[in-house]
Amino acid sequence: MTKKKNSNDDSKGPVPSHPVLEAMPAALREAVLSVEVHQGQTGLVTRVESVRAILEHLRDDQDFDFLVDVTALDFLNQDTEERFQVIYILERVSDLTVIRLHAWLPEDASGVPSVFDLWDSARWGERECHDMFGIVFEGNPDLRRLLMPEDYPGFPLLKDYPLAGHGERRRFPRVVPVGDEMIEEEPLEYPTSIGRGMHTPEYIEEVRRESSPGEE
Amino acid sequence: MSPAQGKSSFKEGTPLPDAATLDREFDRGSRSQDHIAGIFEESDDDSQKLVMNFGPQHPATHGTLRNIFTLEGETIVHADVEIGFLHTGFEKLAEHMTYQQWVTVTDRMNYLSAINNNVGFSVAVEKLLGIEVPPRCAALRVIMSELSRIADHVLCVGLQGMDLGAFSVMLWAFEKRELVYDIIEAICGARLTTSWTRIGGIMRDVPEFFPDLIYQFLDDFPPLVEELHLMLRGNRIFIDRVKDVGIVDRETALSWGLSGPVGRSSGVDRDVRRDHPYLGYDKYDFKIPVQPEGDSLARYMQRMEEIEQSLEIIRQAMATLPEGEVVHDDFKTSLPKKHAVHTDMESLIHHFKLVMLGHGIRPEPGATIYVATEAPCGELGFFIASDGTDTPARIRIRPPSLYNFAIYPRMVEGGMVSDAIAILSSIHVIAGELDR
Repeated sequence: MTKKKNSNDDSKGPVPSHPVLEAMPAALREAVLSVEVHQGQTGLVTRVESVRAILEHLRDDQDFDFLVDVTALDFLNQDTEERFQVIYILERVSDLTVIRLHAWLPEDASGVPSVFDLWDSARWGERECHDMFGIVFEGNPDLRRLLMPEDYPGFPLLKDYPLAGHGERRRFPRVVPVGDEMIEEEPLEYPTSIGRGMHTPEYIEEVRRESSPGEE
Repeated sequence: MSPAQGKSSFKEGTPLPDAATLDREFDRGSRSQDHIAGIFEESDDDSQKLVMNFGPQHPATHGTLRNIFTLEGETIVHADVEIGFLHTGFEKLAEHMTYQQWVTVTDRMNYLSAINNNVGFSVAVEKLLGIEVPPRCAALRVIMSELSRIADHVLCVGLQGMDLGAFSVMLWAFEKRELVYDIIEAICGARLTTSWTRIGGIMRDVPEFFPDLIYQFLDDFPPLVEELHLMLRGNRIFIDRVKDVGIVDRETALSWGLSGPVGRSSGVDRDVRRDHPYLGYDKYDFKIPVQPEGDSLARYMQRMEEIEQSLEIIRQAMATLPEGEVVHDDFKTSLPKKHAVHTDMESLIHHFKLVMLGHGIRPEPGATIYVATEAPCGELGFFIASDGTDTPARIRIRPPSLYNFAIYPRMVEGGMVSDAIAILSSIHVIAGELDR
């Protein structure tokens, strides 16, 4: 309990500063909405519009040469600014500074500029993020599904994607014993429309069209 | 199969797709190349291209992953990969399990070194909660992680030999790895799926004969590694197959996020154990070997040198192994001893509060953390977001194999088919971790 109180006090105090934030030009610093600090780790919170500018600055001027990971968070039904956060974890190999960039992303989950040209590791990071959340990274030349099957209807890591339920097998008829007989049971209607209607073939086609494959 | 006809299939009478379809589907970015695999295509410069499937079921893919190579003669002109055959939704499962329960899931990621995954996840949750494990627990975790790393590297080297035709190397490696698994079995009863750590400690203290086991291992193992090394390092066929094959320079390796032995063998001097020390790794005196060459031979040499350093760490950790408890003493977050649960009221309450759904470990709401540890394949990171309940809001695994494998198509393009196998075995992709 005491720990909780302390951290609340921290968040109400002045915005914690960080050398990386201070080294940013004023325009970009204004785009940073807040700074999250937990256990000595710093996360800069911003909006998706400024994410490309900040990342370009961090890559080119502040020499963050290692993109550790790209991922996302889903804040469904929570009292937050937007539904999604896209998270970039960056490391500067020369002095081992690690910083995170959290970018708020609205419900339609589009309009995140790809950063594959800054770090090649973003190619698969963004691809997996797209696969799991349906977030469209504009400009990524290879935004196919990474882990799920190509024709899979849903985005598994969305909070409204069900984990529990009858499951896939109840979509097929099965034979069950009733008394002395074996009766074929009708399949259940299992909801496959998952998430926000972004699972349709039209949507997948649209993503394919928008991400230009001519980059190679 | 007459080249004069331009295109022909392996099977007589198979209907051929028309030229427009072929042109469209040969583009990078299309995955539906299945039905045209095994078909020659005529290109502008009079040469023929063949689309070849390699995997998902192939001994040299080390698990289940699929490569689609477009060949010109025996040269790979275009490579594409398909993964996800072992996808089991670990990250989604995490949102429906408590922190303590999810330790068992981490075993299944890199199943060759499950202890490293257990330790990595426990370290991450402990950092999130802000607790520190007792020194004995930290030292034991270090010893077991390094043992696991040795087993993983030895097996990788053995499989590398097997893929290049040296089958006995693989058998030898399996035999040597068994020494490590005997120790793992002695301390936790399981060999592969260990689930050895708990949040705030380990499942139980090691048995009394543990030092004897380790010292025996430290005596027995180095000569065996030397044998393995002699088999491969002095083998002309092996060297010819791996030298100057699959070269990755430092800039490329950094940009593609290569970590672990694959990154370090390309000159990226980066090791989480030294750079962001956890579990008291900064107390031990060890070197981080780095190879500048970046080819498959360098990756092999890198692993052999890392085995030596791991043995060195184990030696130092055994010499300074502290006495004491192995579980953090705040039983609001770590499970009390089973004996105490059966005999002591307070421990029973603590146990109950920890294992009942809806109680358990509850980190601060809204807290996020990214903690990386050095797994045998590279940087294994856990990004954990808490929503204040006993189940995490999200756990993201940063799998080293995924980023190490992303560059694979670029590495094999321009090389021969046989090089593709030499490269794949040298980057040591574990499909369980790749797909999670």
